[in-house]
Parts: sequence; structure tokens; C-alpha cells
Amino acid sequence: MQVQALIKLGWEALFLHPAPFINLREDPNPALRGLTLVVLIAVLVALGGLVGTALEWATTPSMSDVQQVVLEQIQAMDWYKELENEPEFRQQFPQWYELGWRVFPPLFGAPDVVNAATRIILLPLGLTLVWFLYGLVSHLCARLLGGQAGLGQTLGCTALALAPQLLNLATFFPYLVVGSAVGTWTLLGRYVALKTCHRMTWGRALAATLLPYLAFILTVSFFGCLGIAILSLFFVGGPQ
Amino acid sequence: MRELLQFARDVLLFKHEAYIEHATRDDVLKRGLTLLVLVTLVAGSLSLIVNLVNDLRLSSVEARRQEMEQALREFTRTLQTMQRYFDVPPGFERDVLRYVQPSMKIAFRIAELPTPLPKPVGAVLSNLGLFLSSPFNRISGWIGYVIWVLLIAKLLGGRATISQTLGATALYSLPHVLDILSPVNCLGGLLGLVATVWGIAIYVKALAVANEFSIVRSVVATVVPALIAAILVGLGLLTILVLSLVNL
Repeated sequence: MQVQALIKLGWEALFLHPAPFINLREDPNPALRGLTLVVLIAVLVALGGLVGTALEWATTPSMSDVQQVVLEQIQAMDWYKELENEPEFRQQFPQWYELGWRVFPPLFGAPDVVNAATRIILLPLGLTLVWFLYGLVSHLCARLLGGQAGLGQTLGCTALALAPQLLNLATFFPYLVVGSAVGTWTLLGRYVALKTCHRMTWGRALAATLLPYLAFILTVSFFGCLGIAILSLFFVGGPQ
Repeated sequence: MRELLQFARDVLLFKHEAYIEHATRDDVLKRGLTLLVLVTLVAGSLSLIVNLVNDLRLSSVEARRQEMEQALREFTRTLQTMQRYFDVPPGFERDVLRYVQPSMKIAFRIAELPTPLPKPVGAVLSNLGLFLSSPFNRISGWIGYVIWVLLIAKLLGGRATISQTLGATALYSLPHVLDILSPVNCLGGLLGLVATVWGIAIYVKALAVANEFSIVRSVVATVVPALIAAILVGLGLLTILVLSLVNL
């Protein structure tokens, strides 16, 4: 019954009306309800995705067969026959070809049922982590900007802001692509969540919504640059 | 449903009361989205039927091969016609065919590979998947733009909430029901243009009503994001051009 009520609350939050956010803010245990909602949405989306992926797999030829067909056709091409005489090419081509088939098909959406099944565990974990980190950082930003809510309330409301993830449920239908709507919609949901939860003006709520994104970009850039610097020390040997 | 159709008619005819009634509803976004999804599905229905019939008709690899060979023959004929008027490099046709034919061979051999479920099931599911993705594509484009319009509208003193702005601007999709005729040559494109212009006019009107400000401000809020994007793209292209000239 409580699960049904939570899903209903999530569905109402999808339409960005302040009422469900106020409802969760006034709840005695908003963070726990928020966590339950996030895990529930993630499990449902992952299960839907598994059904869709299984149907795509059942209507697609086996990837190993496709790999073999492409290899045979490449080997029949003139350029391949010309290069085949070079020992280095003969040795390296199969390795690169094999590597390419491991990397590219998943990137281009080749159905992978095992991967879809593991998402039943990984998606709730990932979404919970994203929710918690965003909730924590946005709470700090909102409080610095004059917000009035407690951490639990912020976590509860930002969990509701993840309601647009429900759109991903549609991927139970094979070959259906939801696109970038979820990300933008979630951003709008987070704005409504922080504005309602902390009773802020629109400008402050906007700043509190965007600052965690900025912090994330800066952190990733910093660690990216640090990583490149460390790698260059190893490979180039650093300043002589 | 009847009420929804009546409302859609009033919006298309720019009846002011219909816009006010819509913007002040509690379920403004739900109703706007329902219309957007319905219109997009109706608009895509004819394309779905055409694509489905085509795919099922050409379910045998041999039929597809014959169609592709026909297309290649037509390409060769077009190229020969072009040679009379343009300076096509010698051996161009041979080079193109040298690359296209092996790719076609690969595609046909993959199409011949067995699948766990019968091939027509795959054709139906992939076409339906594409069809059902269309509302999400429209939502992605619309929501990605409206976020900037919302910001400009707020800066211009707009009073609408997020759900009001989204629910109101979603009405722009209504004239796009004309896109149902997009597979028809010439007429489809013309009607698409009419739907776009009509949709922009509805967008401006709905935004003005939801924010309780003038049409002029609404036009500014609607156009400025596109202008900024165009300027940024222009600056990007100019930078690339300058850099390439410097390197020369």
C-alpha cells in the first residue's frame, strides 16, 4: 500500500506541481521515503529495460555471427588482400578486430541481456549514489543561499525530482528511445524541489539547483587534469 | 476526449479564453503533455503504416537485394546525366560502386542471418519502437528549448510557474497534426512549414497568457534563445574559419 502511495506521489511530481514536494517535506521521515522511491523507480526501470532488451535480442542476429560475416567480407576486399602479405598486419589485424567488436557494439546499442540483468542491481545503486550526492551538495548550496529546510527534507524532495526517470519505464518496449528528455526534466524537477522545500525565491533556487552541477564539472575537470598529468609523468618521464 | 478536441480546436483558432482556462488549471502540464503525445502519435501514424508495409513487403532478402540493385542502377543513370552538365572526376562512378557494393553484400548477408523470433516480428517491433519514440523525441526538443525560454520569461517579469510554462507551450504541437501527410511528396513539406509557423504563433500566445505579459515580451522570450544559439554557432564557425586561415 505504501509502495503504491509512493509511486502515486512520484507520478504527481513528474508534472512539477509543488503539492507532492510539500507533501514529502512535511513527512516525518522524508529521507527514508525518498530513498525507497529512488530504489523503487530504479528497480522498475531496470526490469522494464530487461524486458525490452530481451525482445531486441530475440529479433537480432547473434553478434558473433555478424562479426564472422563482416570478417569474411573484409577478407575478400582488395585492400585486405594487398596488406595480407605484410606479417605485421597479419599479426595485428585480428587483435584490433576482436577489440573493436568488444568495444563498439555495446556503444551502438547492441542488445546485451546480461548487461541489462546486472542493471537490476547496478541502477538502484548508481541512482541512489547520484541522488544522495546531489541532495547533499544542493542542501549545502541552498542553506548558504538562505534555505530553510533540513537535510532529510532536501533529500526527500530531491528524490521526488528523480520522478522523470519513470519515463525510462517505456523502454520495456524494444527499440524505443527515450532520449535527453529525462535529464532536462530532472533538472526542472530539482529546481521545483529546492524552491518548494527551502521556500526560496526563483533566482536563489536556480542557483542552488545549478551549483552542484558546476561543482561536479569542476571536480571531474580537476581529477581529469590530475590524471592526465600523472599519466604523462609515467609515459613521458616528466621534466628532465 | 470530446472536451479535449473542443479545447484543441479553440487553441488552433487562437481563442483567448481557451488559453486562460488552460494556463490556470491545476493539471496544465498533464493536459499539455497528453495533447503533445497524442498529436505526435497521430502525426506519425501514416509513416508507421507506410514503413511497416514496406518492411513486411520486403521481408525476403531477395526482394531487398532487387530493390537495392534498382536503386544503384538509378544512381548510375543520374550520374551519367550529371556528367553532361558537371565536371565529374573520371572513375568516380567506379570508385563509388567499389565501396558501396561490398557494404551492400555485408548488409544482405547479415539480413540473411537467423534470429530467435521470426523476421516479421522484428520488423513490426522495430517500426513500432521507432513510432513510439517519436513523442519522446518531440518532448526532448521542446523541453530543451523551453528551459531557456523560461529563464528569459522570468527575467522579463513573467509570473508563470514551471508547470504552467511547460503546459502552455506544449500546445505548440497541435498544428503538427498536419505532419501526418509528411510522406506525401511536396504537400507534406508545405504542410510541415505551415504547421511550424502556426505552432510558433501558438507558442508565443500561450507563453504570453501563462506569464501574464505582452505579446512583445513573449516574442522576445521565444526568439532570444534561438538568436543566442545562432550567434554562438556563428562565432564557433567564424573561429574555425579564422583558425584554418591562420594555419594556411
